[in-house]
Amino acid sequence: MANVHKDFHGALSYGLQFLEEHYGPEGVQEFLSGLADTVYRPLTEAVRAEGLPALQRHWQTIFDLEEGDIAMDLDGDTLLLTVWRCPAVSHLREHGYTVAAHFCEHTRIVNEAVCRAAGYAAEVTYDQEAGCCVQRFWRAAP
Amino acid sequence: MISCTEFIWVYNELFRYLEERGGEAAVIAFWQGISEHFLGNLREYIAAEGLKGMHRYWSHTLGEEGGRHRMTLYDDLFVIDMHDCPSAKLIHQAGRVDPYPKYCEHCRWLYPPLIERFGYEADMDIISCEKGRCRLTVRKPPDAPARNT
Repeated sequence: MANVHKDFHGALSYGLQFLEEHYGPEGVQEFLSGLADTVYRPLTEAVRAEGLPALQRHWQTIFDLEEGDIAMDLDGDTLLLTVWRCPAVSHLREHGYTVAAHFCEHTRIVNEAVCRAAGYAAEVTYDQEAGCCVQRFWRAAP
Repeated sequence: MISCTEFIWVYNELFRYLEERGGEAAVIAFWQGISEHFLGNLREYIAAEGLKGMHRYWSHTLGEEGGRHRMTLYDDLFVIDMHDCPSAKLIHQAGRVDPYPKYCEHCRWLYPPLIERFGYEADMDIISCEKGRCRLTVRKPPDAPARNT
């Protein structure tokens, strides 16, 4: 079982803020998109090979470990993930860490990059203040 | 959401990206920023309890992060002997990312400068990054106030 040290969300938040301040939104986009080929390569390959059930499994594992409050619905070619209580935003707020101005954008950028590399598409609508979001994944048009 | 369980790999990649964009100076500036802006809780522990506060802080963080280590607390000395760093292990042994060559240097920039501001002497000896072995040694100078133990 993976070790869960939630203060790392605070370090990530600081890192995203640092990136944006020094390299702008383009730097944030470039850095996070690149993770699809490195950190998230196993996920990208799994989604390419197995489709959305691999993504569903990934989110279930992550949110179980982090004790997030979520709901998922896999309906044919679409996976809907509703995050009622984001563990990252909740931890940042509960422990007084600064929440990067565009913290939740990292979810959109990483999701889109992973899905793009796997032949899928993604979108997210979020409320950073409330710490909740709805993420949708579907097979991209050929 | 990038999970905290994936963060160490993201950290490694961020160091690499910053170096590509701004050279080593950019990476060091980031580490200094982390020390300055992110480690407020460590500062609070040290301000309140000195060496005992350090022991308390790392008991919590290393307890959550895992790995194998030994902490030693004397009246005037606090030592962490890291035998198997969970972070370095993920970087060097999980095969998930190409290790940033100076990955372990971040601890040298994060912790000793912060601790030294409280009047202590602090040394971070990186023994083997690949094997996840290092030692943090913090000494209270003989003339330091007693409340800082």
